[in-house]
Amino acid sequence: MATDDRVVVEFDQHAPEYRETYPAPAHELREQCPVAWSTRHEGFWVVTGHEELSALSKRADLLSNDHDPEGVRNGYQGISIPERGTTRGGFIEMDPPEQSEYRRVLNPFLSPAAVVQWQPLIDDFTRACIDEVIETGHLDFVDDFANVVPAVLTMAMLGLPLADWEIYCEPAHMQVYTAPDSPNFDHMLETTSRMVERLAEYVEIRKTEPRPGMITALLNAKVMGEFLPDDGIIGTVTLLIGGGFDTTTSLLAGALDWLDTRTEERARLVDDADYLVSATEEFLRYFTPAQGGGRTVTEDCEVAGFTFSAGDRMFLSYAMCNHDPASFPDPDEIVLDRFPNPHAAFGLGVHRCIGSNLARLDFKIMLREALRRIPDYRIDPAGTERYESIGTINGYKHLPATFTPGRREGPPLAEVMETWQARLDAEPAPENLRAGAV
Amino acid sequence: MARVVVDPELCQGHTLCNIAAPEIFQLREEDGHAYVVVEQLTPEQVPLARKAELGCPERAITVEE
Repeated sequence: MATDDRVVVEFDQHAPEYRETYPAPAHELREQCPVAWSTRHEGFWVVTGHEELSALSKRADLLSNDHDPEGVRNGYQGISIPERGTTRGGFIEMDPPEQSEYRRVLNPFLSPAAVVQWQPLIDDFTRACIDEVIETGHLDFVDDFANVVPAVLTMAMLGLPLADWEIYCEPAHMQVYTAPDSPNFDHMLETTSRMVERLAEYVEIRKTEPRPGMITALLNAKVMGEFLPDDGIIGTVTLLIGGGFDTTTSLLAGALDWLDTRTEERARLVDDADYLVSATEEFLRYFTPAQGGGRTVTEDCEVAGFTFSAGDRMFLSYAMCNHDPASFPDPDEIVLDRFPNPHAAFGLGVHRCIGSNLARLDFKIMLREALRRIPDYRIDPAGTERYESIGTINGYKHLPATFTPGRREGPPLAEVMETWQARLDAEPAPENLRAGAV
Repeated sequence: MARVVVDPELCQGHTLCNIAAPEIFQLREEDGHAYVVVEQLTPEQVPLARKAELGCPERAITVEE
């Protein structure tokens, strides 16, 4: 190593400086080299060029997502740099064809046609969350709003008790915002493993009590005549909770924070549906909630003019590529009607975010309703708290705001929760293909 | 006459083409991947297809004139 002409940098996506200066580091790095070698976290390539990202993302054959903490296949470290956890994180830490089998089971729940079915639930919970605070004149956009709706929706789609969203909320967020060198890191790992244990119990329960939703679908699925392994299913459920809880939440917080002083844009987003569509893509591009993905190079190779060695780690920074001026003129400006906007916020290639259709729907409804019902909110900067590390998810812990109080528009949140739980419970249970098989 | 094609190997179901031009691009039920529903593009459809081509994150769409 080091006999080649690689450009060496010291980049750490978890560092406070990255959070404080984002998206500026994208430009400093790219100007040095769009595919540079960072010496941090035991060394990894960091990709900041959009063109290079496009080329690399097509090569799932050369770039592995596999996570093999026990070293039974290849010892690869998965999608987190540095490696995180001692278990595989569901299908995002698998390669095709194994990965494709999980997605084949879940795609029918997350296609554009399927997610629209959940709009009534999103509408009801969005309305109820705003009602809970509308008479008080203050709220925390994260705690009272953005944390709740995506989480309840995820519970519903998995077939888990809706009210349990609160149990998973803090662990799900802590999992993504805790920096590897944080004093809380071990605490986070403990909390995460308790969450995984609880989810494992539910997966076990669903083997005898099937419910409509993704857990039962995973349990019923067969690949080459075999049911999917428990650890693959539990890892996948944990992944869907992380993806479902934290990303839409972060995008909403970023957008609401940016819109704080922009009253003209706020009004137009409420009234102009096309503007909301393009604005959603622009917020996705600018903030890129899921900042990127780690990969492991499977063999010595050359892609996009760069030479890689088997075993090299690589961070595909969707966020920094989304700020590449070659593809996005004035990349650090938020231009709500930007076009074209072929951003990589959901990742590119076979690992494209499986929940992207749901995220868009949920985000648009929630943003529009927040702006419609709380049109004069002002963010309280003193109470605003970003994630400690935005290297995994670019999000907020707290985003408090004040506003002119308004009126409730419907029944309270607790009642909506009960009504929806009863409605979901009334749906007939799917066939249990595991009955008698275990 | 102009036509537009979606490369099924490259399409990953971002769905932005369908958002831009639903009369040209439809999405498969099972995974949301796009397919073209018009044999030939009318002159009015060409700019819409071009819009989808430019906006595709996977560069899976090609307009042939």
